[in-house]
Amino acid sequence: MAQVGGVELANVTKRFGDTLAIDRVSLIVPPGTYCCLLGPSGCGKTTLLRMIAGHEAPTSGDVRIDGQSVVDLPPAKRGTAMMFQSYALFPHLTCLDNVAFNLKVRGVAKAARRKQAHEMLERVQMDSFADRVPAELSGGQQQRIALARSLITNPKVLLLDEPLSALDEFLRLQMRGNLRQMQKEFGITFVHVTHTQMEAIAVADLVVVMDHGKIDQADSARGVFDTPRTTYVARFIGGQNVLGGKVVRVESGAALLEDARGNRFTVPAGDTAPTAGETRYLSIRRDRIEMEKLADPSAARGDAVNSVVGKVWMTEYQGSWVKVSITLPDGEEFVANIDDGTFFANPVREGDTVSARWSAAAVHSLEHRESGFDTSRVGMHA
Amino acid sequence: MAQHRKRPWTFYVLASFFTLFVLFLYGPMLAIYILSFQGPTGGLTFPMNGVSLYWFTALFEQQRTGDFAGSFTRSILLALLVMICTVTFSVMAGLAFRRRFFGSTAIFYMAVASLVMPGLFLSLGIGLIFRVIDVPTNWFASALGAQLTWTLPFGLLIMFAVLSRFSRSYEEAARDLGATNRQTLQYVVLPILFPGLIAVALFGFTLSYDEFPRTLLTVGPGNTLPLEIYAMTTTVTSPALYALGTVTTVVSFVAIILSLGSIAIIQWRRGVRFRK
Amino acid sequence: MKVPSSVVPYLQVAPLALILLVFFGIPLVTVVVVSFFDYVNFQTVPAFLLYNYEEVFSSNLTVTLYLTMLKYSVIVWLITLFIGFWVSYFLVFHVQSLLWKIFFFLVCTVPFWTSNIIRMISWIPVLGRNGLVNQTLMNLGLIDEPYDFLLFSDFSVIVAYVHLFTLFMVVTLFNSMARIDPAILEAAVDAGASRWQVITQVVIPLSKTGIALGSIFVVTLVMGDFFVVKIMSGGQSSSAVYAMWNEISMLQYPSAAASAVILLIVVVLMVVAILRIVDVRKELSG
Repeated sequence: MAQVGGVELANVTKRFGDTLAIDRVSLIVPPGTYCCLLGPSGCGKTTLLRMIAGHEAPTSGDVRIDGQSVVDLPPAKRGTAMMFQSYALFPHLTCLDNVAFNLKVRGVAKAARRKQAHEMLERVQMDSFADRVPAELSGGQQQRIALARSLITNPKVLLLDEPLSALDEFLRLQMRGNLRQMQKEFGITFVHVTHTQMEAIAVADLVVVMDHGKIDQADSARGVFDTPRTTYVARFIGGQNVLGGKVVRVESGAALLEDARGNRFTVPAGDTAPTAGETRYLSIRRDRIEMEKLADPSAARGDAVNSVVGKVWMTEYQGSWVKVSITLPDGEEFVANIDDGTFFANPVREGDTVSARWSAAAVHSLEHRESGFDTSRVGMHA
Repeated sequence: MAQHRKRPWTFYVLASFFTLFVLFLYGPMLAIYILSFQGPTGGLTFPMNGVSLYWFTALFEQQRTGDFAGSFTRSILLALLVMICTVTFSVMAGLAFRRRFFGSTAIFYMAVASLVMPGLFLSLGIGLIFRVIDVPTNWFASALGAQLTWTLPFGLLIMFAVLSRFSRSYEEAARDLGATNRQTLQYVVLPILFPGLIAVALFGFTLSYDEFPRTLLTVGPGNTLPLEIYAMTTTVTSPALYALGTVTTVVSFVAIILSLGSIAIIQWRRGVRFRK
Repeated sequence: MKVPSSVVPYLQVAPLALILLVFFGIPLVTVVVVSFFDYVNFQTVPAFLLYNYEEVFSSNLTVTLYLTMLKYSVIVWLITLFIGFWVSYFLVFHVQSLLWKIFFFLVCTVPFWTSNIIRMISWIPVLGRNGLVNQTLMNLGLIDEPYDFLLFSDFSVIVAYVHLFTLFMVVTLFNSMARIDPAILEAAVDAGASRWQVITQVVIPLSKTGIALGSIFVVTLVMGDFFVVKIMSGGQSSSAVYAMWNEISMLQYPSAAASAVILLIVVVLMVVAILRIVDVRKELSG
């Protein structure tokens, strides 16, 4: 099946009164992609989704679906279908009538629309619930009905607003696999809004990390996790230690940084050549850290490059690894995820002073951008 | 939840208090319903001198009790008219109030003021206006308008309560699925709100059917039932008065049972089981 | 035909607004205007006189009427508040099953949808000289002579008011209390509050809106009462509204209008006083 549903946002801006909800966003989602819009509450992800759906109009900029501008089209003419956060299943209609709603308003005869709706219910394995009303279904079942109701319109793009937030943890894991499978089966584009990092990374081909109405990074799941572009993305996605320091010198494509405590790190020079004295940021994945307990804390300070020294304040056993949280002398937190075999061969306890080291190859250079998670905007269209 | 837990002593005190309150609320009304079945020689108080329908038949003898049949018909028609206007206009206004628009606060305050206004004040004002424009007052224009100043604010407030629980995403979902504005209203908004509309209708009907001060100076030559009853309190000293009370209450109860019953059935069909 | 979406709310609200304007706004203005008119030989004559007000204010009867009505308002308010509070408290916090809760609440509200006059006159066979109460007391041998104060007295007036208007307190207080998360009460108990402290420190403050709205209903209804005082006092007392009705019967529209305006001012002042204590609008939107 030829894949459809390419979504293109060109310089889209949205203002609500004085509030800038979306600030000149451009994005290309190729046809047949599972795309996740990821960001904290109030970052503009839901607004962006609603503009693709046609429930909000952009203040400026263009929204295109399969190359055709849709900003002047009503929601139903865009080839999109939306699955609402709490599903918005019509409480007065049975599951079958909910699914058949689009056919009804298009004037499809009763027998024909019932047949089609039954087929769609079968595809989501809900046909045995056809005559129930939504209030009689569990959260997971409601989600499937909502999915069926959206898919019966033959959309090119399915827009999902926090589709898993109404479910409990167990169902969430199950349904996110389910969504991914449906997307493959129908071969259309899914645009899925979420504030849960692991959810986005688990399902998406394309993860779009947003903050304050802007896109910080649009990349593969592995891309945003392994090579975050900015300090904000690195911190928001998690799994990374973010450090910064002043450039001391530059040699053979790498810069040597020194932070306020005198720790020294190397960082690849990246696209822009570093100049001495400027501040640079870097990240190291938590699972790329080696840790060593220091017998004599006073002898800690050394000239070792790419290491920090601090006190363990918490160890959390996670099954296959142990999360060791270390407090640096200035109060910053540094985390090492140590493979459980390695950890228990040489365990550390809370209060121990440790040195954490990493190889220069594990270092990833970041652009500096902080969010501050401005709470005044939270709840706008979260 | 914890049904088996021992109830505190306050439960029994308050339960007794509540029982007394319900007795206080319904006891006297029961007394007149019973007394309306007095025998032909019975009086206004107990004991009963036999049981009969005598006083109900007496209602239809115009000379003795006034124009019962006429005022009864008039009251029912007026109440139905008020009910239709109240439902239609307060639903429309309720939908309008979901958006901010210029003048919305002023209209809201006007509605609230209209609700707490002493009824006879409005009655007097409307009566005066009809005198000025030299149109005789009548039940289907001046009294209708006067009663609407009482029922519409109620309807509007109920709509606020109903709509506060109505998620906008239903309409967006409908539009998303290709429904036109009219189809969204017809297939989604009104059906979902339907139990609320029945509640508004119940208020519209019963408030009009029992309305007194606003109707007093605006109804024109023919009385409505409450006016008729009021007149009877001074002229009629027989259980016919109670018979009339029983008849009006039966009408009210039919309206209440129909409304609440249909709301309950609709909610039941929608899977709203009153589980604990 | 396509209507611009910004016009839609105006079209939707227009019928309601027009009806309120024609049958509430204009009559209000008319009454105020007429209250300054003159009347000669049963004819109302346009003028600008303060005479009608002077007449109302100079009359001892007016003062007595308003004092009586104020007295009734305060007594009825206290009783309905007491009953309304405990009934709602019982329904919200002591009745566990939702179905019973709804049923009992409806039991309290059903009389609202029935005729006030009928409910009022239903006290006559109960409280009268040969009424149920006197008969019962005499049969029990508690009294030898029937009590006369039961009917056609201040007592019967207050009983009728309480009977008619308590449900306004019950409904508004029930609504306020039903919004209180029961976990808050449990938290208060966990924090060491006694049953009584939970009520005074948590339930009452959180029911303020309901108390205020209920009070507005009860006070305005008593002040605007037409027939309860007249009938239940056996003609001994009269209400402000009934006095107005007498003037209307004598076609003295300007003086009736002046009485109406004064009544309105008194009612508005009482409502404003209640609203000053509790900001209902803030509480409703919050």
